Amino acid sequence: MISKFRPFDVIAAAAILVWCIPSDSFASEEKRPLSFVHDIVPILTKADCNTGACHAKAVTGQRGFVLSLLGFETQEDYEHIVKEGKGRRVFAPAPDQSLLVLKAANIVPHGGGVRLEPGSKNYNKLVQWIKEGMVYENESDGKLTSLEVKPQRMSMEVNTEQPLKVIAHFSDGSSEDVTEMALFEPNDKSMAETDDEGLVKVLDVPGNVAVMVRYAGKVSVSNISIPLGAPVESLPPSKNFIDELVFSNLKAIGVPPSPVCDDATFLRRVSLDIGGRLPTKEESAEFLASKDPLKRELAIETLLSSPDYADYFANKWTALLKNQRESKADIVANFAFHSWVRDGMLANKPYDEMVRQILGATGTIVANPAVAWYKRVKEPNQQLEDVAQLFLGVRMQCAQCHHHPFEKWSQHDYYSFAAFFSQVGRKPTPIAGEDLIFHKRGVAKLENKKTLAPVTPAALGQEALEIPPDDDPRLRLADWMSEKDNPFFAKALVNRYWKHFFKRGLVEPEDDIRDTNPATNPELLDALAMHFVENGFDLKEIITVITSSNTYQLSAFPNEHNAVDRQNFSHYYPKRMQAEVLLDAVDMLTGAKTDFANLPSGTRAISLPDNSYNSSPFLKVFGRPEGASVCECERVQSSSLAQSLHLMNSSDVKGKLTKAGGQADVLSKPEAKDEVGIRDIYLTAFSREPTAEEMTIAKGHLVKPRTDTNDKPVNPQLAKRQGYEDLIWAIMNTKEFLYNH
Amino acid sequence: MNSFDSSSAFERCAGPFGRRGFMQIGLTGFASLGLPGLMRLQAENAKKPKNERTAVIMVWLPGGLSHVDSYDPKPEIGSEYRGPFKTIGTKVPGTRITELMPLQAKIADKFNIVRSMNQTAGGHPAGSMQMFSGDSDTRDKPKPRLPDWMSVANYLRSKGEARTNPLPNYVGVNPTPANYSGPAYLGNAYSPFSVTDDPSRPNFKVPNIGLSDPAETRRLSERLALRKSLDKMERAFDQENELGALDEFEQQAMTLLTNSQTRDAFDLGKEDKVTRDRYGRNQWGQQLLLARRLVESGVDIVTSTLSGPLCGRVRNWDDHAVNQHQFDALRFRMPNYDQAVSALIEDVYARGLDQRVLVVVTGEFGRTPKIKYGRSTGAGDASAAAGTLQPGRDHWPRAFSNIWAGGGMQTGGVIGASDKRGEDVVERPCGPGDFLSTIYHHLGIDSAKITIDDFNGRPTPIVSSGKPIPELIA
Repeated sequence: MISKFRPFDVIAAAAILVWCIPSDSFASEEKRPLSFVHDIVPILTKADCNTGACHAKAVTGQRGFVLSLLGFETQEDYEHIVKEGKGRRVFAPAPDQSLLVLKAANIVPHGGGVRLEPGSKNYNKLVQWIKEGMVYENESDGKLTSLEVKPQRMSMEVNTEQPLKVIAHFSDGSSEDVTEMALFEPNDKSMAETDDEGLVKVLDVPGNVAVMVRYAGKVSVSNISIPLGAPVESLPPSKNFIDELVFSNLKAIGVPPSPVCDDATFLRRVSLDIGGRLPTKEESAEFLASKDPLKRELAIETLLSSPDYADYFANKWTALLKNQRESKADIVANFAFHSWVRDGMLANKPYDEMVRQILGATGTIVANPAVAWYKRVKEPNQQLEDVAQLFLGVRMQCAQCHHHPFEKWSQHDYYSFAAFFSQVGRKPTPIAGEDLIFHKRGVAKLENKKTLAPVTPAALGQEALEIPPDDDPRLRLADWMSEKDNPFFAKALVNRYWKHFFKRGLVEPEDDIRDTNPATNPELLDALAMHFVENGFDLKEIITVITSSNTYQLSAFPNEHNAVDRQNFSHYYPKRMQAEVLLDAVDMLTGAKTDFANLPSGTRAISLPDNSYNSSPFLKVFGRPEGASVCECERVQSSSLAQSLHLMNSSDVKGKLTKAGGQADVLSKPEAKDEVGIRDIYLTAFSREPTAEEMTIAKGHLVKPRTDTNDKPVNPQLAKRQGYEDLIWAIMNTKEFLYNH
Repeated sequence: MNSFDSSSAFERCAGPFGRRGFMQIGLTGFASLGLPGLMRLQAENAKKPKNERTAVIMVWLPGGLSHVDSYDPKPEIGSEYRGPFKTIGTKVPGTRITELMPLQAKIADKFNIVRSMNQTAGGHPAGSMQMFSGDSDTRDKPKPRLPDWMSVANYLRSKGEARTNPLPNYVGVNPTPANYSGPAYLGNAYSPFSVTDDPSRPNFKVPNIGLSDPAETRRLSERLALRKSLDKMERAFDQENELGALDEFEQQAMTLLTNSQTRDAFDLGKEDKVTRDRYGRNQWGQQLLLARRLVESGVDIVTSTLSGPLCGRVRNWDDHAVNQHQFDALRFRMPNYDQAVSALIEDVYARGLDQRVLVVVTGEFGRTPKIKYGRSTGAGDASAAAGTLQPGRDHWPRAFSNIWAGGGMQTGGVIGASDKRGEDVVERPCGPGDFLSTIYHHLGIDSAKITIDDFNGRPTPIVSSGKPIPELIA
């Protein structure tokens, strides 16, 4: 936020102040005195006075003036405005000389610039409220019960505008148009923009977007569907409910899907997504040659029963479960925990069972590796925050210190949830830093840090529980999570997995599921969650359903209409291979295996148990996470200069290209044939045969005469070898290689 | 910046003592600068071209410089505190530093000394994190929780106006300690481009910068041409912004590797002999020369850590008695330090970079004012044989000093003061938040207003407390 005021404005503003305040003329329009709660707090919120960067900055506020974040603590704010600041902030005898007014209008220099234009409706209201003696609340005021936004649901053409209207409903049955004082925010700013007056402007991206509306601590949402309206003449056949729901949405919004991809693309895609690896050239050749009509289903089944699947998904989950190496001594615990997760994946342990075993873990890490989670995540606050975000897709962090701004969650909800972890007992063991975890007998309760009153455990949106002293409250939490109608647990997982395969969650970010951030295809999210519950939280099964759908198997190439689509899955969205997968792929392509310290040679990057191997510059540069956060966003998938430099010129990659016994070396042996070598490289890198044109270009490069630094011709075998090094380098740097597409 | 903005910035950023306190400091430290002088400075500042890109060089002293043996000497104190070093006068009447820094004494009018820095963490990791990122946690952690100011500035600058300069925007010339600093939730893309080799070595080379062998350059270009002729997927991606970014980075990498200008920026051979000698023909001198060369070539953020064998046996400034003899270590170390730092400051002014480039020299804390004797754990440079009793000083975050130059600021001042022993700040305390806000201010970053979302999507302020130190901002 940068203030945009100019000196001229201030002069003009001062003039307006002197001449134009009709302070008496509009008082009669209001039946009752203005109240702080009802009228003033929304003005302060709308003017951004109480954001975290301004006067709601933790503890200090700005220059001694502190407001609660987004006005959730009206009583405190009232005290600060009316009673603090030596009475200068508000001065009823000369309301427009109140510091609050002078600062807000930037008449007295204000770090935040002009927040209220003198003469504006909100400015006048503030002045009037002071003049009327600063009423906190009128007894006759009804309490705000709900917020309604009109239209609640609508369809808008691309590049059109539509004003929203916001109605506040009060407990006394009255209602009021509060559009001018409400705040508007689209959940996808690349699709829609809003202004202060509630005008929604839809851009040129088709799909569903939600505009969140906030007023006085309440939220509401307007759901907007933006059709493209292109003709959808043919759809791929529906193989399951996913296809039915995705394709019917595409038809409804007029976005024609791309066709189903070819076999080579499918095999490469699904191997990368399930097994975290490229198919070998033998696997590719066999798959391409097979005439079995069910070969895709078979490939999925084979991958899911392979150890690669367990490696890849253990890699995913252990980072989220913070299997972090902080000291050398962690090695045993981290290996044990990684193996425990991996074994669970291999054996296809039901997801609810896995979560229950982590939450309810007791004993020592040696006896029960799931306990390691409690080694990393020590405090009840951290435990509840991680559990909520990772397993429920709910971000509770905000509610530790203040009411969640976009949610119903209060500090009471926060500490009630944390109370499930209040009876986690710890006893030191002979291994430093590793406690024995047990259930400490007693009635679970925790202090609400805001009210200082004790609260008993309550799951999100549930009644508080009285848990007998002998029962472990963590198991009650696990019970609630695995209930069939739990509104969070299954949704969070299927959304997370959807994102794994499709690059984009049905809700984005994948762990921020809330009413004000709806799914782009809500019916699909519900159906996936229901399917997952009905199949006993079977992880391999949900992956099978997803990957065998034609939706997953659509081509990445857009057609003439659907290139603009980024959320309806009308074509496959290419994703860059993640650090570990890419390193393994580069190793395979160059025939030069990376060695990791103290691990058996041949260990692949996707099997690494923890973050201590991120000392590998390759893994670091390509964003392998440190296991510091429960959010998948810790894994950075964006490109960077360092990545380009690494692939183009690092000694690491150069060493792989030139390694004795590596791919270039082997393929350039006198007895090797160029066509075979080029074909091998293509099958390895892309799971497909080279086209005739590619074969010509590649062969041409291999036979090019070469000179050394002194411009002397090099011997033919060395020239051939350098030709292969170049070819492999070039292939490695193509988007076709770097991306899963 | 127009004049109205800058005066409101002044109003906003007045120090904890308000205007009166500032004028008092003006009398002691800024002998030449009354309030009218300040106003004039602001007016000049207002005339500065708006879009000139400011830059910062931070010289990092890992382990912490003993403040009482350097910039904040206490000659009157008893021998259980006082080191062996005499004080000397400087170019600024009334300002004295120790005899270890005669070259800086001669140019004391070109920098400011802050004698009232303080933070609250006694360990290297937490203390460093307080200074790098403003994390107020006093406990040591294995990795930083918050991004350091360098990554933040790199990130914010990369979001702003597009840069045309192919050089990386943040370079660590011997970067700050990896476990104490870093981009945290900003991601590795905002890490420094690292120069880890000793630039004083004759075969000094920066990997990935300007290939020196033309044959290598030619081969890389051929490879790239081959890559382009084989890449069939462009069409599938052309709607995706990230692919555009990938192409851009590839182009930038290619420029870095093949463009002679980028190679020149790192080539100290292009400096004349006199200049190279002036900085000192050793690791630290050439590091700081390279730092200056880089900001001159358009790099915005440069850090340079003065560590290694020039420090003494333990290769850093952590002068516990068990590590090295505190005073022998300073005798061993300070001539090179003094030469390099004074050369950098002088050079920044001589080349007219002093408005655009801010230089700050600091460690994570000072050293215990009371001398502590302990037995050496090993012989080496500045350390006696194992078992020998020798003097040392331990960690001291409650009061320490750092110096600031350039940045368009008025120089020659002393800001704040510690008590008679150098143990606690008694005047004008400056914390990590002030330290960081001052740097951000120079970079045109309004640190009080900017938040960046952490992993949980929570908007996190880039500095949670503090204000730019008014005497150190233009």
